[in-house]
Amino acid sequence: MSEEGKASLNKELYNSNQQKASNKSNGVLQALTSAALVLPGLLLTSAEAADANLDSFSFQYNRFQEGKRKLFTVPNNLNPIQADVIQASGNVSLTDRVKFTFSYTRDVWSGATPVTTAPLATNGNRPILQNSPTGLITAGASPFVNTNILLDRDLNPIRQDPLTGQAIGKDTRAVEILSSASPEVRNAADLGLGYEWNEAALNVGGGLSVENDYKSSYGNVSGRLDFNQKLTSAKFGFGYTSSETSAILDHDIVPYLTRTAFSNQIESRGGSEILHGKRQDWSANIGLTQILGKNSLIDANIGYTYSNGFMENPYKAMTVIFVDPESLNNNLDTPITGDVRALLEQRPNKRNQVAISARYIQHISLLDAALHLNYKFSTDDWGINTNTFTANWIQPFGSGWTITPRIRYHSQDAANFYQPFIFSQQTFNTNAVDVLGRQIWEDAINPDIQFVRDENFNLLDSDGNLVDESLLNVQPKTIPFDGEKLPDSFSSDHRLSGFGTLSGGVTLNKQLAKGIVLQGGFEYFTRQSALQIGGDSGGSFGDFDFYVASGAIRINIEKLNFANTGGGLGIESGVSADSHDHAGHTNNNHHHGGHVPAGVMSGHMLDNAGDFMFGYRFMYGRMGGDILNGAGAANDLEIVSQACSDATNCRFTPTYMRMKMHMLNIMYAPTNWLNLMLMPKFVDMEMNIRELSGRPPPQPGVHEHTGIAGHATGGVGDTMMSSLIKLYETPGHRLHMGLGLSAPTGNVGVEFRRVFQIDGGLVHFGMQLGSGTWDFLPSLTYSGDHKRWTWGAQLNGVKRMENQNKSGYRLGDVIQATTWGGYNLTKWLSASVRGIYTKQGAIHGDFNAFNGRSGPMDFPTNQGGQFWDIGLGITASVPSGKFAGNSLSVEWLQPLRNDVNGFQLERKGALAAAWNYHF
Amino acid sequence: MIGTQKIAVLLLLMMVLGLSGCVSLAPWERGNLAKPHMALNPDPMQRSMRAHNYGSRESGASDNASGGGGGCGCF
Repeated sequence: MSEEGKASLNKELYNSNQQKASNKSNGVLQALTSAALVLPGLLLTSAEAADANLDSFSFQYNRFQEGKRKLFTVPNNLNPIQADVIQASGNVSLTDRVKFTFSYTRDVWSGATPVTTAPLATNGNRPILQNSPTGLITAGASPFVNTNILLDRDLNPIRQDPLTGQAIGKDTRAVEILSSASPEVRNAADLGLGYEWNEAALNVGGGLSVENDYKSSYGNVSGRLDFNQKLTSAKFGFGYTSSETSAILDHDIVPYLTRTAFSNQIESRGGSEILHGKRQDWSANIGLTQILGKNSLIDANIGYTYSNGFMENPYKAMTVIFVDPESLNNNLDTPITGDVRALLEQRPNKRNQVAISARYIQHISLLDAALHLNYKFSTDDWGINTNTFTANWIQPFGSGWTITPRIRYHSQDAANFYQPFIFSQQTFNTNAVDVLGRQIWEDAINPDIQFVRDENFNLLDSDGNLVDESLLNVQPKTIPFDGEKLPDSFSSDHRLSGFGTLSGGVTLNKQLAKGIVLQGGFEYFTRQSALQIGGDSGGSFGDFDFYVASGAIRINIEKLNFANTGGGLGIESGVSADSHDHAGHTNNNHHHGGHVPAGVMSGHMLDNAGDFMFGYRFMYGRMGGDILNGAGAANDLEIVSQACSDATNCRFTPTYMRMKMHMLNIMYAPTNWLNLMLMPKFVDMEMNIRELSGRPPPQPGVHEHTGIAGHATGGVGDTMMSSLIKLYETPGHRLHMGLGLSAPTGNVGVEFRRVFQIDGGLVHFGMQLGSGTWDFLPSLTYSGDHKRWTWGAQLNGVKRMENQNKSGYRLGDVIQATTWGGYNLTKWLSASVRGIYTKQGAIHGDFNAFNGRSGPMDFPTNQGGQFWDIGLGITASVPSGKFAGNSLSVEWLQPLRNDVNGFQLERKGALAAAWNYHF
Repeated sequence: MIGTQKIAVLLLLMMVLGLSGCVSLAPWERGNLAKPHMALNPDPMQRSMRAHNYGSRESGASDNASGGGGGCGCF
């Protein structure tokens, strides 16, 4: 956001130079022409070179995938951490001097993450044993954080035989204790506005990042001053971030987690414990960019960040081994027992960080390549020093291709409070005794009332009277450990440990015609404690590898407009294009696209061979309120007894479900009667459930979801490919057919995490990420227009082409009929009303793997139905000027009637929004 | 070790400042510098993704105050 210069000028210069590069013999002419091009603008290029992204829209997908962590003694069958990130962004100049940027990012991550680190001898990753045809096998591991361990007198862990308990010998190795996480979603958006003077720039920006458990809002100001004929630029920036943690502690680990240090930050609500914390970060940076010559520049920056507040990772615990000092110091040499406990980690609540970086960029004229060398050093008062080297070689090699190999090395020291695990010479709990040495008892329900026992074990109150114990729930009063005897801060988070990361990767860019850039990248990382500068600090148990793969598309508006000069798109078409070569394309038809309501897919065609359309479509749907049985509401008793199956009564029911879908729409017209369309999808869903009244009791061995937290899934959805074929066209009337295929790229094997020894099983049908089958998507669309009026109708369907997906079922087929009418309110704004009828069949088949069967959402008959909706929409399209060809449509779909198969949550409404760019 | 690094970076900064006085480039000599792959930040999209990625896996500080809000990274 902050590093841009006279980019448009630079591009002109670059373009002019590129054109002239082919004519090297005429160097003088080149120099003179370049000068002539530059001088009228009176602007020299700034030391800040071109902004590669100015005036563009981009969409990017990243997959982060970790390899499995080592558990040493048991096989690791947990899925490693995986994150899917999508990002849509735009960077446009509103005027010559005013620039606007925005971006939207969505992450979904899931997988196994370390909750703590412990001596390997504690067997913290307990094997899960399963029967198999070949006998008992180890199917995986589950976390076990509270246990005992045998130690020698130097506090070295001693490994014991798991069956006999016999001491085998000293084993000082450590291991991460893994726990799997169900998918979680983050949404973030930011905006920025910049102003450019001739020799200065100022940018302001801000944004919001929202996760279930973490909200963060931020703002920043940055600027640049050019001097010395723009050979030197000075930069500055200030930023502020305010973040709030509301972490719902894992209700399955809470009973085993010691969290006394945070008791005043933990709220109990709806059966869950929520850890609250606030944090603020202030940052500032200054920098200098200096052009060193015709082919090189250097850039140096210093950044300072001050943070305060809650900086803990609320899901990380420290393994503290409590050793009774009496047994340690009893002058024997037999092994002693350590009491292994997991305590929420504690970090300092202040942090000062300084980073110094230098970047050197050299143009290699022989190859027209650019070498970028970066070095960054950072230090902080937590004791973490880091060194990072990065080298990129950017090599264009003709026909619009650019390849960028890259290498990076990062090394960091451990924080001074990082330890894999710690010892404390005190007991975790001590039984309380009164002044006479008698053990104190208390009532679990009312712990303020204390008791003692006489020699006959009778319970006595404080006045010495006998008490009827049958009315109470008495237990020994215990005194917890003394927190003051622990270090002030402790963490075993591997990110605070000492390690090095070496990575190498490559990015490939292809510039297509009309300013479209496609990009693919891959980078492989290995993170090893042995790679740390200054030697291995012994943390090799935390080594792992990971990779990041990315794909992106960027649409450069400026280049498109250059290619399409005057080709005014939209309602006003035909007015300005007549003098241009493309006059033949004078588009009396593009506006049809703008008038199809946002919720209609495959609703319009590009008419001219060679036309492109790039679109982004967002759909949001919400279900909530009543559970319907057919068209009427069902009560809890009906749901319990009828909504699941004859063999199983329902125990839970959904309270709400939200679905978000992001789609890219890339359309190309190879001929004027055929369009090809590619539509990748990214989905995320969220649901919460509640217990039904009158439900059957819990079954042993089946995990039940409790607490206030909902659950989410997300990632890549199914990918649609289709062709649109023009069947009929006269002025005012058009008919086209769509033949589409949906490829099952969305995962239908999404599982809840395993909780201890109990599998979570497959997530509900409606929260899987795709259909799992190849589907045929036919459609027939008619559209018409007369003066200011437009209208249309579409019939479309989904036919599943396989009997079952990999999880054993297939979704029902769909048929949908819709008709709409619209009116152009102004040249750029139109409104529409639409009616929709949808019929979808129930699911065929059933899950072929374990599913919790907890409520109506887990049974195949409770899917599909008949739905009647009304849609109200508006479309704004830019008829001319720099942003011609852009249109934005929004449609709200309001259910009029639902008639569901079986028992389902009521549909509350849906929003469709589409941005299209037609060129 | 840290001391040497700091000194090296300071020297580098001084060198940059020192150099600033002695370069002179005419506009037509700046063609290479204006090429997109010579930009300080030739791929802003990838850079923001990388910052997010490193921020949730490493403990290095940022040299850029405009990069707030990467999320919790609590995994």
